[in-house]
Amino acid sequence: MHNKLNRRDFIKTTSITSLSVATIASGITLTTFAQRKNPVTNAKRWGMLVDTNKLTETDIDSMVDACQKEQGWGGEKYSIGNQKPTWIRKLKVKDKATGKISNLPLMCQHCEHPPCVDVCPTNASMRREDGIVLVDKHLCIGCRYCMMACPYDARSFVHENLTEQKEHMPRGKGTVESCTLCVHKVDNGEQPACVVRVNSEAVIFGDLYDPNSKINQTLKKIQSTQIRADLNLNTGVRYSGI
Amino acid sequence: MYHWPIIFLNLLLATTLAYATEQTSLGDEARMIQASGKKHHGSESLIRKMHPEFLLHKRDRTSREGVRTKKHSLKNCVYCHANKDKKTNQYYSVNKSGQFCSVCHQKVSVSIDCFACHRNTPSKGANNAQ
Ligand code: HEC
Ligand code: HEC
Ligand code: HEC
Repeated sequence: MHNKLNRRDFIKTTSITSLSVATIASGITLTTFAQRKNPVTNAKRWGMLVDTNKLTETDIDSMVDACQKEQGWGGEKYSIGNQKPTWIRKLKVKDKATGKISNLPLMCQHCEHPPCVDVCPTNASMRREDGIVLVDKHLCIGCRYCMMACPYDARSFVHENLTEQKEHMPRGKGTVESCTLCVHKVDNGEQPACVVRVNSEAVIFGDLYDPNSKINQTLKKIQSTQIRADLNLNTGVRYSGI
Repeated sequence: MYHWPIIFLNLLLATTLAYATEQTSLGDEARMIQASGKKHHGSESLIRKMHPEFLLHKRDRTSREGVRTKKHSLKNCVYCHANKDKKTNQYYSVNKSGQFCSVCHQKVSVSIDCFACHRNTPSKGANNAQ
């Protein structure tokens, strides 16, 4: 039977297998497995809450460092100036009236209505069902429209050939990249690298929809804001203390 | 429609010939499995013919839907099919000329760009085998 498998049989067998997988596994929760077997759904929306009052400048630097170590960016030899990839960076904001300066970590805000997805000509720029905004680099042609569209300047373009990438984060010349909320860890029930690195009160990661999650409960209690809330993008990353 | 069986037969022939000449490149981990008398892929002719489809299917499932099982994952192909240089104890790149993901492709003039982004050697401490 195997020797005569043609395209149509292949489609038949695979759809049967995936159907049976779906029925068997539907009653089992993610936490019982280390590795995710089912497609993500919109029952969850991943988000992050950053309390800038609890973050020192060194904390933010160490978040950037954690991201570089986890995802393997920052070692590009030939990229200069703003060619250098920046998945997360430290931003200083100043209140013009009072002169109060706050520092905050800025990365992809994982919008509900992401402008980068609207402008992408190949569907590479995408929003996963669970709210994580990603570049499907397999489809990315490197046009960089998404970089222009992003109000947070959160995306970068790889300008040079790379080797020794991280196994879980393939990266290559000619494609756009940005914060993935450490999707490879989140899918296996872990937290993003930058969140793990800092004080657990300062940066909270979790499911915005889940009333039992720490992030949902904290957002109900305290005053928080979205950066450029005026754009109505409904970001997944929220800030308090600014 | 008659050209399809012919193309298929040709490919089958080409891949089989390629296999016959280059058994040595199978990869350390895969060779160990083979030596123990076990099989990893249910059918060799299936994986030979269908691995492009399997890989592309898995690619979309993982990067767009978050499915992260080991089956047909590219990381895992690399893990099993990479060879170590016995002298230096370093891995050869799996797509280097003469290595597993390259011998057949050279014969049938296929070039793949996957390893421009994907790591072509197992990373340190990797143990993904299923
Ligand atoms: C657990 C280790 C393991 C993994 C993972 C694995 N293989 Fe294999 N592969 C083997 C072994 C062992 C053989 C020898 C035949 C067998 O056991 O089925 C083999 C044989 C093959 C063959 C036929 C070789 C020939 O010379 O004709 C191809 C093609 C192949 N693998 C491709 C792949 C691809 C593509 C992937 C990733 C989707 C992959 N393999 C993942 C162990 C592995
Ligand atoms: C431009 C960079 C790039 C290129 C080129 C590329 N990939 Fe990927 N690939 C990625 C990224 C990024 C991921 C997502 C990793 C994640 O989310 O864990 C990925 C994930 C995958 C996965 C799922 C993870 C795994 O290891 O199994 C498969 C399968 C895959 N790619 C196959 C391919 C194949 C086959 C090719 C060549 C035809 C290819 N890719 C070329 C960037 C690339
Ligand atoms: C047994 C010989 C053989 C081995 C070993 C082999 N391939 Fe292939 N591969 C082929 C053939 C033949 C084709 C062309 C098939 C076609 O066009 O239908 C192909 C095509 C592909 C394609 C699709 C290319 C395209 O442009 O459509 C990908 C991706 C691929 N192989 C990945 C791999 C990887 C990764 C490995 C190593 C784990 C590997 N192959 C090992 C024979 C082999």
